[in-house]
Amino acid sequence: MSGPVLLSAERLTVRVDGGPVLLHDLSFELRAGEALIVVGESGAGKSLLAQAVMGNLPAALRVGGGLTVGSARLRAEDQRARRPLWGRTLALLPQEPALALDPMIRVLPQLARTHELVRGVGASPAMAEARRDLDAAGLGDAARRYPWQFSGGMAQRAAAAVALAGGARILLADEPTKGLDAHWRDRTIGMLDAVRQAGGCVVVITHDLRVARALGGQLIVLRAGRVTEQGDTRAILARPSDAFTQRLIQAEPANWPRRPAPAAGAAVLTARGLSKDFGDGVLFDGLDLDVRRGERWVVRGPSGVGKSTLGNVLLGLLAPDRGSVRRADGLGPTALQKLYQDPVASFAPHVSLARSLGDVARRHGHPWPKLVERLERLGLSTRLLSRRPSEVSGGELQRLALARVLMARPALLFADEPTSRLDPATQRETLMLLLDVLEEDAAEGGAGAGTALLLVTHDDDIAEAVGTRFLRLGGSPGVGSLGRAPDAA
Amino acid sequence: MKPAWQAMPPAAPERSRRVSVSRRAGLGVLLGLALFSLLGPWLLDVDPTRQVLADSLRAPDGSHLLGTDVLGRDVLARLMHAARLSFGLALLAAITAAVPGVLLGIAASWRGAGVERALVMLSDVVLSVPGLLLVLLFAALVPGRGEALYVGLSLSLWVEYFRVARAASRAVLASDAVQASRLLGFGPGHVLRWHLLPALAPVTGTLLAFSAAQAVLALAALGFVGVGLQPPTPELGLMMTEYLPHYEEAPWLIGAPVALLMLLVLGMLLLAGDAEGA
Repeated sequence: MSGPVLLSAERLTVRVDGGPVLLHDLSFELRAGEALIVVGESGAGKSLLAQAVMGNLPAALRVGGGLTVGSARLRAEDQRARRPLWGRTLALLPQEPALALDPMIRVLPQLARTHELVRGVGASPAMAEARRDLDAAGLGDAARRYPWQFSGGMAQRAAAAVALAGGARILLADEPTKGLDAHWRDRTIGMLDAVRQAGGCVVVITHDLRVARALGGQLIVLRAGRVTEQGDTRAILARPSDAFTQRLIQAEPANWPRRPAPAAGAAVLTARGLSKDFGDGVLFDGLDLDVRRGERWVVRGPSGVGKSTLGNVLLGLLAPDRGSVRRADGLGPTALQKLYQDPVASFAPHVSLARSLGDVARRHGHPWPKLVERLERLGLSTRLLSRRPSEVSGGELQRLALARVLMARPALLFADEPTSRLDPATQRETLMLLLDVLEEDAAEGGAGAGTALLLVTHDDDIAEAVGTRFLRLGGSPGVGSLGRAPDAA
Repeated sequence: MKPAWQAMPPAAPERSRRVSVSRRAGLGVLLGLALFSLLGPWLLDVDPTRQVLADSLRAPDGSHLLGTDVLGRDVLARLMHAARLSFGLALLAAITAAVPGVLLGIAASWRGAGVERALVMLSDVVLSVPGLLLVLLFAALVPGRGEALYVGLSLSLWVEYFRVARAASRAVLASDAVQASRLLGFGPGHVLRWHLLPALAPVTGTLLAFSAAQAVLALAALGFVGVGLQPPTPELGLMMTEYLPHYEEAPWLIGAPVALLMLLVLGMLLLAGDAEGA
């Protein structure tokens, strides 16, 4: 494609003032209708790139190099000079869109205000345009709602509408599909594509190579602040030359190795005629389920459809509206365990991990050396134990949570989107370790000792890679878009 | 922005408990007053009720550092004893209000339903009676006795602890962390010790300082209007009433209890600090 350059960077660098370089010599050039995809593992400097272009880096960081934004050539270090461009030429779709919206203002006036104040149209045309934007984003019915009443996908679309309302043609999107199911992922890709169709350009920072493939354009692979590969997205993803790019591709759930299904053992849970309503909607109705030892059940379906609710009902944390859940005889009160979507929230925040795990070990008569052994097996250093939960990374903490529940020798482990907040490499590592450990336990304990897994995920590729039995929820459309859906993050 | 838990800390960071300057100042003031009221009477060793009518209304000098009152009693000695009384009674009342208040708050959000409704109704009833009136009521039942004031103060102060503890523990009890602990087979004791108390401790500490200040003021107000402790007990409010008629010939007299009261309350409020910083 040709045309004027909309956004370019020449030898963009970011360094800690007087310290290490975090982003090395990054150059690219985007014309109208083009897309740049930036991939790489967590901490590679992807978000720094967006901040360096926007000019809102933390004060301790210095940026060097040159930038062209629209028709303006700028020195990258002059971050203030880019402020007037915010919203009008240069827009950022932040990583947690729900946090970027003002929770106290209904979404229609919030959007209208952007039209009015950033783009400078009159009050009543601004209102009309805001209404049109919301209709286009499928939020027409939600115009009078507050952002905190939105599900993740709705907040995403509302934030995108606000980001673009100022008339910006250059959109930077930081992990725009994080935590979204396939449906909303495709919708987001469509939204990004629409920006390109309208003569703009997009820079998309993502972990999800499916987004990269769908958008095409140029690709930059970042590792530890350096560009390891740069070029045409589809060509690189089809034939990666760099080992690191290959690893990223291997980490995609679709490429995970398939595991044989272990033989099913004794029954753990028997559910008959389960029904649960949420608000006015029906989450599930007349559901029968038999979970046996060794089975790996995967519950899938779009966000907000009641997947987590079903798990909680099976565990006895919620009562079903109708129907019954029967545990197999001989199962103790701690035989059913759970892994949480946000591992930080599942540990007592004021207590060291050593104390948390130690208490569980004592409660279940689990020898401490065996726990240390397991932590090593999970690739965790015992030095982590002196920290508090908020001081450990998400991937590590989820593995600690796994070690914790396994001390209770569960008959059923309910994993509620346990890796949806982790990057693909960590996600793969965590889930594979989970399966390894469950299989090892089964081998140790002989036949019938295998822990059944009930995995909730919105990612069909993960479902295929992990599951041996499947359950799909989600008949009634619209449930997911109803206010605070029970498992919408 | 990334959620905090994604950021990997470089190493186990030291959890330095940074205490703000104002809190340190508050602690300093209170420690000073505590020493004054505990050690002072022992160092000075003057009976605060001993009358020497010949020494009536003497200005401060070497033998009476703060002068004497109209009955010739040493004002410094009276002030020390008054400080000890206010301090002790206020702290005692605040603590005896805090313990049941917090426990009832936890019980309300833990049990929910009927228990919660009943407790909330009870607290609303107490709240609907002005605190001072409640104390007056008890003071009227047993006139002039410190115990009555103490019981009245505690009964009016517990509500605040109850409300705060109930709101704070509801969020804790609904958290994934508590659910996980219960699934792992831990009982109420564990949840209380490792989940609820650590979450409630900072806010309760702040409240403690606030309600102690409130109690000090209430005691002084009751003494001032003559329904609290009775003469000749040295008490801040009583002293103010006694010294008020002499403010023209001996202004230092009324100045002493007022300054002490201000210092005491200021120290407690500074210590309480901003609740968010806790």
